[in-house]
Amino acid sequence: MKESLMDILCCPLDKQDLELEVVRRDDDEILDGRLVCTECGEEYPIEEGIPNLLPPDMREETPA
Amino acid sequence: MPDDDRPADDVARDRPDREATVDRRGVPETYDRIAEHFSKTREHPWPEVREFCESAADSATALDLGCGNGRHAELLAERADRVVGLDVSRTFLRVARERAAERGYDDALAPVAGDAACLPLVDDSVDLAVYVAALHHLPTRETRRASLDDLARVLTPGGRALVSVWAVTHSAFDREEGFDTTVDWTLPGGEKVGRFYHVYDLAEFEADLDASTLTVADVYESEGNCYAVVGGERVEGKRT
Repeated sequence: MKESLMDILCCPLDKQDLELEVVRRDDDEILDGRLVCTECGEEYPIEEGIPNLLPPDMREETPA
Repeated sequence: MPDDDRPADDVARDRPDREATVDRRGVPETYDRIAEHFSKTREHPWPEVREFCESAADSATALDLGCGNGRHAELLAERADRVVGLDVSRTFLRVARERAAERGYDDALAPVAGDAACLPLVDDSVDLAVYVAALHHLPTRETRRASLDDLARVLTPGGRALVSVWAVTHSAFDREEGFDTTVDWTLPGGEKVGRFYHVYDLAEFEADLDASTLTVADVYESEGNCYAVVGGERVEGKRT
């Protein structure tokens, strides 16, 4: 994902701002990382350049 | 049209799927499983969606809600600098990204995994949206109405969206009122994957739109689908 997408993304649960944590990026895009809700603390992974903002109860790997 | 996912070839099994109304955890997996085969049979955009996009003003951000392989995102990319392709299936999103690269609009496409009833987009961020043949997969009226409200929330004040759902008037169905059903997708090996549908009658579709915070500009039926052209939140809030 492009970093500019942060302008419009938010936490799906409470619609609050997300903080970007980059693990791997190239010149144009963030390839791996995390988006963390500044309000509720929920973490959403960025994998292969695609942010996964499914609510936690619809994600495959639900944290224990 | 063989490559058209209007309700033509699938046989609707008329049984409400109660389990689907409770646990939606398996939904992304269902679409991940059928994504690649589905995509091969869903190459062409619908003419109604083409007309809507062609008549739209140039926009900053567009949204293809339930984008699948992104065949409608391609039309939106002709109108908008950035197109968010949102789908529950990450496999679909990868297919959409590959397709965008082959067709030269990958710079505009932003694939995002998300739930149509719980959008991860800020208020007033979308100028132009299509929500084609996806709302009817949400398992309860409450979820479908929440999804319409969330679409209203993300649309800019002058924003426009086209929403479509399957209609009971299609020849595949012998019903007059909306109903829940499961429609199988048959994979090349013959395996069937069931998907939840709520098939709408037009009055019910209008009622759900009216109950939402969307501004409704037009509602009509065409070729076995109900369509609505809608705008963002009504200033005076919900009608009751």
